[in-house]
Amino acid sequence: MSYFQPIPELGEGPLVAEGTNFKVVTETVSRVTERKAPRGWWICFLIALSLVGVFTMTIGYLFWKGIGIWGNNSPCYWGWDITNFVWWVGIGHAGTLISAVLFIFRQRWRTAINRFAEAMTIFAVICALIFPGIHVGRPWVAYYMFPLPNQMGVWPNFKSPLLWDLFAVGTYFTVSLMFWLVGLIPDFATLRDRSTGRIRQMVYGVLALGWRGSNRHWKNYERAYLILAGLSTPLVLSVHSVVSFDFATSVEPGWHTTIFPPYFVAGAVFSGFAMVMTLLLIARTVFKMNHLVQMRHLELMNKIMLVTGSLVGYAYAMEFFTAWYSGSEYEMYVFINRATGPYAWAYWTMISCNVICPQLFWSRKLRRSIPVMFVVSILINIGMWFERFVIIATSLHRDYIPSSWGYFSPTVFDICTYLGTFGIFFTLFLLFIRWAPMIAIAEVKGILPEADPHYDPHGSHGAHGSREGSHGYALEPQGAE
Amino acid sequence: MTRRTPYPVNQLQPGAPIYWRSLEEREQYAEPSAFDALQKERAAEFTADELAAPSETNGFDRRGFLSIMGASMALAGAAGCRRPVEKIVPYTQMPEQVIPGIPSHYATVINRRGEALGLVVESHEGRPTKIEGNPEHPASRGAADLIAQASILDLYDPDRAKKPSRLSVDSSWTAFATELETELNSFRGEGGARLHILTEPTNSPTVLRLRAAIARSFPNAKFHSYAPVSNSNMREGARLALGQPLQVHVAYDRARVILALDSDFLQTETANVRSTRSFTGGRRLHSPRDTMSRLYVVEPSLTTTGTNADHRLRLPASQVFAYTAALAAYLHDNGTNLGEVGEAVKKLPKPDAVPAEWVSGVAKELMQAHGRSVVVAGSRQPAIVHALASAINQALGSVGVTMAYTTPVDPAEIDVVANIRELAEAIRHSDVGALLILGGNPAYDAPADLGFGALIKKVPFSVHFSSHVTETSKATTWQLPRAHEFEAWGDQRSIEGVYAIQQPLIAPLHDAKSDVELLAMIAATAETNGKELVHATLAETFHNGAMVEADWNRVLRDGVVRSSVYQAMTAVPIKSPEIATAIAAEIAKQPPTAADPLVKGVVEVAFAPDAKMFDGRYANNAWLQELPDPITKISWDNAATLSPKTAAENGVSDGDVIRLRHGGQVATIVAWVVPGQTDGTVGVHLGWGRTVSGRVGTGRGFDVYPLRTTESMSFVTGVRIEHAGERYPVSQTQEHNAMEGRPIAREATLATYKQKPHFAELQAPPPKTLPLWKKVVYAGHKWGMSIDLNACTGCNACVIACQSENNITVVGKEQVAKGREMHWIRIDRYFVGDGDNPAVAYQPLACVQCEEAPCENVCPVNATAHSPEGLNDMAYNRCIGTRYCANNCPYKVRRFNYLDFKGEFWHGSELVEYDKLPKTVKMAQNPNVTVRMRGVMEKCTYCVQRIQRAKIAAKNANRPMRDGEIVPACAQTCPADAISFGDLNNPSSRVARLSELDRKYKLLAEVGTAPRTTYLAKVRNPNSEMKG
Repeated sequence: MSYFQPIPELGEGPLVAEGTNFKVVTETVSRVTERKAPRGWWICFLIALSLVGVFTMTIGYLFWKGIGIWGNNSPCYWGWDITNFVWWVGIGHAGTLISAVLFIFRQRWRTAINRFAEAMTIFAVICALIFPGIHVGRPWVAYYMFPLPNQMGVWPNFKSPLLWDLFAVGTYFTVSLMFWLVGLIPDFATLRDRSTGRIRQMVYGVLALGWRGSNRHWKNYERAYLILAGLSTPLVLSVHSVVSFDFATSVEPGWHTTIFPPYFVAGAVFSGFAMVMTLLLIARTVFKMNHLVQMRHLELMNKIMLVTGSLVGYAYAMEFFTAWYSGSEYEMYVFINRATGPYAWAYWTMISCNVICPQLFWSRKLRRSIPVMFVVSILINIGMWFERFVIIATSLHRDYIPSSWGYFSPTVFDICTYLGTFGIFFTLFLLFIRWAPMIAIAEVKGILPEADPHYDPHGSHGAHGSREGSHGYALEPQGAE
Repeated sequence: MTRRTPYPVNQLQPGAPIYWRSLEEREQYAEPSAFDALQKERAAEFTADELAAPSETNGFDRRGFLSIMGASMALAGAAGCRRPVEKIVPYTQMPEQVIPGIPSHYATVINRRGEALGLVVESHEGRPTKIEGNPEHPASRGAADLIAQASILDLYDPDRAKKPSRLSVDSSWTAFATELETELNSFRGEGGARLHILTEPTNSPTVLRLRAAIARSFPNAKFHSYAPVSNSNMREGARLALGQPLQVHVAYDRARVILALDSDFLQTETANVRSTRSFTGGRRLHSPRDTMSRLYVVEPSLTTTGTNADHRLRLPASQVFAYTAALAAYLHDNGTNLGEVGEAVKKLPKPDAVPAEWVSGVAKELMQAHGRSVVVAGSRQPAIVHALASAINQALGSVGVTMAYTTPVDPAEIDVVANIRELAEAIRHSDVGALLILGGNPAYDAPADLGFGALIKKVPFSVHFSSHVTETSKATTWQLPRAHEFEAWGDQRSIEGVYAIQQPLIAPLHDAKSDVELLAMIAATAETNGKELVHATLAETFHNGAMVEADWNRVLRDGVVRSSVYQAMTAVPIKSPEIATAIAAEIAKQPPTAADPLVKGVVEVAFAPDAKMFDGRYANNAWLQELPDPITKISWDNAATLSPKTAAENGVSDGDVIRLRHGGQVATIVAWVVPGQTDGTVGVHLGWGRTVSGRVGTGRGFDVYPLRTTESMSFVTGVRIEHAGERYPVSQTQEHNAMEGRPIAREATLATYKQKPHFAELQAPPPKTLPLWKKVVYAGHKWGMSIDLNACTGCNACVIACQSENNITVVGKEQVAKGREMHWIRIDRYFVGDGDNPAVAYQPLACVQCEEAPCENVCPVNATAHSPEGLNDMAYNRCIGTRYCANNCPYKVRRFNYLDFKGEFWHGSELVEYDKLPKTVKMAQNPNVTVRMRGVMEKCTYCVQRIQRAKIAAKNANRPMRDGEIVPACAQTCPADAISFGDLNNPSSRVARLSELDRKYKLLAEVGTAPRTTYLAKVRNPNSEMKG
């Protein structure tokens, strides 16, 4: 990690606010975990926990009665279950992108948000992974999906995209978790060192894996982090590509589309960033971290959303073109039906939220407005849920044989299951903010001027750690990598 | 319990041997101090009074309590974790011909709307499970209809009446016999003058014989026969036209032109199986050189027959007479001499609603056919229409060519409506001392103006003999359980006279008697046993009293007496003057026809027997309830059908509850808009809205009998239609009616077919791209199916046959509404063309067993895989229920067990395991087919169990398999013979040859699925000179 030197000629500014030093960073982040939880946290936690209760009861009933408690039917054999799965996987996308890809591309501004985004990834993927397990008709034999040696000599069907999916998401989860935990090691050590209670010391001590901050530790740590980032980067592309194969390799009109892998990846990044934005804006306001998470960061994220949103919009348009160009009446019908059929409301919700909304970010004023970006980020989350719903429901409900056409309506249990995953997500998230450093302390420190101790020929700049004036930056070009 | 001396643990004797576990312990005990310590320790733990003998007052000591506790815990545990003990007793003496695992087949017969339908019933270790048609029986020729297929479930209906009951209190047959005897003796003096017996019209010689016997014992007793749906009009028509009540037989296969006057001969008329066979026989096409018949249908509501018409005229039922008369007049004027009839009909003004071409065009066709034509009148039409049809057939020279007459089985049968009216009058005048209702359900289905249910209560001694406790049973003194046709001996003659024995497959499941046994009880005949009674009839009727055992056995084996066919009458003179007089009377009666049938608020209602419930007797059959109506595709309900225009005129839309009011009679029913319904008319189906039925049938649908009076048994004009201000949820299995211009159920006209024989494949040619991988070579068998859409009439018999064969569960109305019905084969019905009078295309669709099956690739656990013979197999045990296969199935023929439907259905919302199903329901299941649990996918297997059975049989006999040896359930029952199955690798097999016909096409082959099922496109034969 090394100090970020902004190049004023490029319009770059410092990544942290004036006056932020090591102590401020450590204090700001650590104190959240050390002080008594504020009342607001408890209220949120209890709400989230109640939703977990709702989820548990729903799933209990689901296992007791069967998938029939949901609205799934023939022809819509999949409904909210897979919609939620794909949506959560998509949300889980931003974390790795921010952490790994931006890390490799030396986008130092990521330090403000990466921990947050990674945590969100892990929790979102946990929520996603619940669905392949519970959406099957006989969950008690769901383990048949794993290649376990058995006396019947039956193996999973390696041709099935659903199996690829399981492996892809499983791998993604494992790597993301490792990446996150490795990144947390120095920060856990910070917390351990600040701990006064015995239990805290023990727990953080274990989590810090004996980190002492030695040069060798740093060297190994940075190497491991880089390797994991390298491993994660292809996963960013692979996970959602594989998820899209569930649809793309089928013969269903509306699913059988080669555009799906890039379209899904763009959509995933899009929705992931939107979710990070929603959560970050809340945390930033609640925990007063404006100096760490700056407007500049938010603006950069909004730009990414603008790009990915437009990519998604392009994909929507291209689907129509492909359908028309294919000459297949089934394919054409699905798309006409999407825009004008019984699910037109869902389609146009999707278009408004995903394509039209982000266009606001062309305006610098709007993309720097906290209320605007908050509303937009929520709308994008909604829009991306609808995107998955539109793909699944509108394609299935009217496919080849008109006699089998139907309509999908969710039941109260569909809603409870979906809300329940929010409960799981927020419970985990609230626990995370309460007990783990929500901003990567070590990494933020790495971009401070103090991270770049240097000889000052004028000797006029006082104590180590102060940041005054900008001319110092230009004098030490070797400080930047 | 025994009282034992407690172990003397607290009295460790010094010097007693010490048991030790280690050297250290031994040393420890060896020391006296340690020994004392041990002794104290033990004494402290087991105090002496605790261990003392139980006191006399207490009675329960600690030890005893622990023993009991221990024992009961052990027993509870044993009961909880062990399987219940069930005794399996092997045969010590093997019953003749019963080999466990090998089903036996027995010939029998059931009554289907007055026709004897010969059946062969499959029986597993004495348990009948599956109905097939009897190939030897002329009414069946190996096929059966949907109600016959479903009758096996009626046998096992858990809601059947189980024992005789008197005023709803359980009683016994002995008690009944005693009371009956007392009652009968009290009538004996006056010759049974106050004894009335109400039966259904019968075709059973034994019943007729016993009836005669009763008549001998009680010469003044009155017999009545009533059925809400009968052929009285046909008989009366024959009486009018030919002077005697004759049975009309039609050979549709020999006709070139068929005109059906409000006759649904393919579904709800008598002998529908036979008619379907012969109708499709006359339309079978193997090459463009073949010819086919042309069907004209004139009817108010869309029926199965109407959907198969080449030309269909929508006409209110009340105007069919006017149309027939106009047709007769045209024929008479154009060279077909109808004599006095022809002159009489000319006086009738031409009906406005009929397009001129429907008179001239049809008449020309009929004349050009030179006798190879037939005019059929439906049972709903009055006698005069039947008489007129007979006159036309006679004049066209059709009698003896395409149609014939025979004597009916019961020549004494008279008009059912007059009959029951007479009985009602008698009760009203208190002339009835005892009323024995043998079968039927008059309290529910008698004409509403008679108020029959209330009348029955006025009779001092009344008996209702029926399989279920019904509306009538609630009104009578006694309810007697009637044995199912598969439990009881009996006999029936088919409409052309073929005698068949109704052979029981199983001893009565409940304390029930058969029809003949009860009649014998009343007649006090020498024989009381059903078998003896039937034996006596057979001996008497066909062997002059001298019958050897071999004859009897042969009849049992074949199921039919071949020599018993009636002599066909082809030269019965038409009584023209009588018909002419009747026509004149009818013309005088006819109200002037309204020019515009669309009068707001007023409609004509036509009653039709339901394709599933018939007259209501099958209401408690869950298979039939769930089966979609062939036309509306509504399951679990009936609906009043309105044309789009009538609906718009009256502001009615699908699902509105309407009231149909005529005089004081009102029926409330949900409305449904069906294209093809005649404007200004409403079609309703009988047999629904039962108030006293079983768990399945009670309260399903809407009862329209309240609108049906003695004056309007068939149709009623001037009915007020009103909104009831409610909506009613209706479940349909198919909600989309149009084909969206897709090449799915492909068809062409005969003319097009002759020009372009390969029209079907040209509509969507199979892909020419090379496969991505090496093609699989099917070296052994290569199973395939061929479905001829030109033959399929859309009757739905295959759906029930499949349900019965493959243990397919019923899901209930709410689940059907969610689209979760489980039928493995379904009949897709599409409307084509004109929105008011559309043509209809049917397509039976089950799994087509794709060679490149999309479902197989996507299953993550390999639960659906390809067999070496090309079947797309399902391994239920392996299925985890991701439902991905069903999503990826372009045909949407996979069915998922969303809930534990087996239990769900019988126990409402409460979840019940399969084990808690009513036992009898389980008995109906095929032991060769796995019962699927919730959470697994299922679909058509081409009846893989039958394939395996035939393969084993061939292997055991060390011979190659024969073509036609394997018949899937759908193909077996199909009266139209539309489905054939076999080995595609055998070039001479029927299916291989049919799959290569020019009309062939593979559904959605353009997707690249390479289905094994081949369709043969439908060919319509419209008259180029007619517009509609």
